[in-house]
Amino acid sequence: MITIEEALKKDNTYIAGTFDVAVVGAGHAGCEAAHACAKLGLNTILFTLQLDSLANLPCNPSIGGTSKGQLVREVDALGGIIGKMADKCAIQTRMLNSSKGPAVHSPRAQMDRSKYSVMMKHELENLDNLTIKQAHIVKLLTEGDDAHVSGVMSGTGAIYECRACVICSGTYMEAKTFLGEVINESGPDGLPRSVGLSESLKDLGIPILRFKTGTPVRVNKKSIDFSVMQRQDGETDIPPFSFENEMNGITVPTEQIPCWSVWTTEETRKVISDNMHRSPLYSGVIEGVGPRYCPSIEDKFMRFKDKERHQIFVEPMGLNTNEMYLQGFSTSLPEEIQEKMVKSLPGLSEAVIQRNAYAIEYDLVDPLSLKATLESKIVPGLFTAGQINGSSGYEEAAAQGIIAGINAAMKLLDKEPLTVDRSQGYVGVLIDDLVTKGTSEPYRMMTSRAEYRLFLRQDNADQRLTPEGRRVGLISDERYAKFEEKMRRIEEETARLRKTYIAPSEELKEVLESVGSVCPVSGISLAELLKRPNVTYDLLAPVDKDREPLPRDVVFACETDLKYEGYLKLEKEKIEKFKELENKRLPKEIDYSSISGLRIEARQKLDKIRPENVGQASRISGVSPADIAVLMVYLEAFRKRRPQEGIEE
Amino acid sequence: MSDIENKPFCACSTPGGVSGIAVIRMSGNGSFQVCDKIFSILRTCGEAKKISDMDGYTAAYAKAVDPNTNEKIDDCIVTVFRSPNSYTGEDMVEISCHGGVVVKQEILRVLTEHGGRAALPGEFTKTAFLNGKLDLTEAEAVMNVIAADSERALKASNAQLGGALKRELKEAEDKLYEALSLIEMMVEFPEHDDTPENTTKVRSLCVEVKSVFDRLKDSYEKGRVLSERMRIALCGLPNSGKSSLLNSLTGYDRAIVTEVAGTTRDTLEVEVNVNGIPVTLIDTAGIRETDDKIEAMGVERAKTASFESDLTLYLAAPDVEPDEILTQINELLDEGVSKSSLAVVFSKSDLGRNSSSGVIENKCREIGIENFISVSSVDRIYLEELKSFITDRYENLGGTTSGETILLNKRHAMILNESIGYLNMGIDAIDNDMGLDAASSVLRLALDKTGEITGKSVSSELVDNIFSRFCIGK
Repeated sequence: MITIEEALKKDNTYIAGTFDVAVVGAGHAGCEAAHACAKLGLNTILFTLQLDSLANLPCNPSIGGTSKGQLVREVDALGGIIGKMADKCAIQTRMLNSSKGPAVHSPRAQMDRSKYSVMMKHELENLDNLTIKQAHIVKLLTEGDDAHVSGVMSGTGAIYECRACVICSGTYMEAKTFLGEVINESGPDGLPRSVGLSESLKDLGIPILRFKTGTPVRVNKKSIDFSVMQRQDGETDIPPFSFENEMNGITVPTEQIPCWSVWTTEETRKVISDNMHRSPLYSGVIEGVGPRYCPSIEDKFMRFKDKERHQIFVEPMGLNTNEMYLQGFSTSLPEEIQEKMVKSLPGLSEAVIQRNAYAIEYDLVDPLSLKATLESKIVPGLFTAGQINGSSGYEEAAAQGIIAGINAAMKLLDKEPLTVDRSQGYVGVLIDDLVTKGTSEPYRMMTSRAEYRLFLRQDNADQRLTPEGRRVGLISDERYAKFEEKMRRIEEETARLRKTYIAPSEELKEVLESVGSVCPVSGISLAELLKRPNVTYDLLAPVDKDREPLPRDVVFACETDLKYEGYLKLEKEKIEKFKELENKRLPKEIDYSSISGLRIEARQKLDKIRPENVGQASRISGVSPADIAVLMVYLEAFRKRRPQEGIEE
Repeated sequence: MSDIENKPFCACSTPGGVSGIAVIRMSGNGSFQVCDKIFSILRTCGEAKKISDMDGYTAAYAKAVDPNTNEKIDDCIVTVFRSPNSYTGEDMVEISCHGGVVVKQEILRVLTEHGGRAALPGEFTKTAFLNGKLDLTEAEAVMNVIAADSERALKASNAQLGGALKRELKEAEDKLYEALSLIEMMVEFPEHDDTPENTTKVRSLCVEVKSVFDRLKDSYEKGRVLSERMRIALCGLPNSGKSSLLNSLTGYDRAIVTEVAGTTRDTLEVEVNVNGIPVTLIDTAGIRETDDKIEAMGVERAKTASFESDLTLYLAAPDVEPDEILTQINELLDEGVSKSSLAVVFSKSDLGRNSSSGVIENKCREIGIENFISVSSVDRIYLEELKSFITDRYENLGGTTSGETILLNKRHAMILNESIGYLNMGIDAIDNDMGLDAASSVLRLALDKTGEITGKSVSSELVDNIFSRFCIGK
């Protein structure tokens, strides 16, 4: 623990500036946090170890995908920046799961990697209230008995005073990369790592964990024989990530670049199994815990021995580069083996590897030490977002980044913080999972983690979150007016569909029979017709004479909400129950160890995590429904006793 | 946590086992509306036509009917308490019904099938406390009650979940996880060509699980008697041989059989073992063979005993007019005694085959009664026939001899019933091509419900399941 005054006594230190908020790290979390703070009028500084790698995409050159696409839409709905950047830099776009129901539709786009970094840097450089600085932050400075944030210090002795700090250190803190037996003290992509900051956090009493992740090889396009590969083209008739772009008629690019896929061969499997002993993962050199969803190729062969082959995707890294990314081929085997592995793949026998695959190990903060606002429970004024909180993925990082940035701002502006709950968005599911359950591996968002997935759709993220973004101040008047107009149209069209009755006719019969549906004997509302299997809004056009042309997003919303009304109703009931517990706040001063009736395990867990409400308490592993019942009785007793004993909330 | 619902909750407030009457309580918003569906008022002090119209602190004599089948369950006294003037402080109903096992279970079943739910351990007390009905100093005691009740419920549940049932439930649950995981894999990793597109498999797994749940739920109907004694009512005109039969079955002269305390309706209850089966015999003694009121009372008593029973033995003596017997049997049926639980016993068979028994048997078969036995309290051979008949009945009600798994707990049966509803919705969603998201949403509800028995939380299990079955990633 060190104060500004103490730091100034050291050699070569000086006050380099005074800011409201310091954001440390300029990846996808840091950029969102800095963008939100600056937009909300706070004097903000954003630090990066290497300006040319701002908003880097060090792994997959794509944004979105299942559940991640939903996250991008949600960040955009709140007023974030990732969706707009992704729209600008997309070189191939797709809507995954379009045949599997609207709740799981997920937008995904290949990015021009270097363009993304350049565009984001330029966007942020032009933002009012934001200073961008290349510097290596090594210490967090604090003041007072509560050790609240007062500044940060760089490796060159520059001290930046600030009232709040958002750390988004990604995989950089005390990072080590592994390429077979070769270990480097380095960040991703050969970038410098962060040294000292992790120690500084540990000194403040923050629990530090260590994880590992990895990335595959990149191959020169001209050395690849695509004729033996399966081609995968993009789709151009889908909405962009950004709702504002969508409302303004900006579409996804019409010219798109294909991706490719191949399968591993028997030779691949043989090369890997012959060299397993040289993998740092299996020889025990890597201590960090790796993710199950993103295993290295050797992991896949080891864990799924019955599976003879695995699919590998070959994806472009941009328009002005020949580099192709081999998705599914991450490894930490030595360089020499990687060469053999890649050449065992169809179409890649002559492949020229431009960058090797590697594994990386890094320090992070135990997310159980965080509040749902992403502020530390231990150091007031310190916020963390992204991989430092145990997540993985650009989208997960951006989602935490905007929440941390908004809440740092709300704290300094003395306004109500923003927390998104599990029924409002994947953002809420992500953060609640991290701060309530913690994580033992890099946490990836998945749609199956969401309980209310029929509500948490990519198409209605604006309905769910734009009012929140408006409240905190990230949505402009112009954008909000358009949003309200869209909502009005959805409402009117839904009402029209409910009250418009269609009489049985030859035309209706023909329309319905074309999808195997029976013509009703008496009049039926359009809404009821839409609930039938395979009956769509477009299909009903010939019998719905009064229909006015409406934007695609409005039609989609009306159609989906009506078609799934029955299922949504069940989910809504679940949400209401959920909200009831979520609204029961637990006072900060509760002494769980003194509550008789709670089981010992529950007392310990509750005391450690100190949940903010009964709902959160109920999701802690080791807390049973009976414990929750006891807790509710205790709460009531507490409320009645408080006025007598003069305890204040 | 999904047990914490906004539905009114109900439970039997009198101790388990058999008693003259039992009290079932229901508390919470909507209690009156649930009761409206089940009870029709026969008589009350005010003008009320339905339960929800009644004033607080008033009672009604009402008939409980299963709304699905329109079959009568019992005659009850329903007392209404209006918020805040009730034990829990919420709207409450107290239902006094007859104390037979079947009656209690049936009333709880219809209450929970028509908008109510089973109470959680300690919930009445907890609600009373939360609504300020109990003193502050009682808070700690209440918490301990909840903890202790939960512990006991858990132990009881675990004991019941032992062995075959646990295995069967787990297998069904695993299948449901497999179905959901299949959906999740299709949804989560769509770009992978090796993701199995297997909606047919999902559907067949759902159907398999549903049939297991259906069977387990039905077994509850059979299994319920196991937890308590089998009750057998002896009915019939005076001198039809009820008392002699009772004495033969007990092996004692009835003069030394103790009367059960608290029975004010002049019936005699005797606990005996029949071939090792715990049985309570109810003798509807004291009927006079006259046209006066007292005879009518006797018939009422016989009916009452029958409602409370798992089996009614109607004794027909050889010297009575068949028409008279048939009238009485019809009266019993009219009052709701089920045909399958009624047996006609031709008594005093040592006096020779009842000459009118053929006539009676034929007439009875016409109206759907199928159980006929001859007995003689003098001749032991006839008695053995009766005993083996009772044993068969017992096994039909959930006997111990078969290897079939039995679901014992009422809560379990109700949970499975809800799960079955969600499974049906899931199968419909697949059949109607509503999208995997809709199907998975209801299948999750089914699994959530089942988790209330097995104690698993869906989310974490599901994610683990996906990872263990499928290998995927960047």
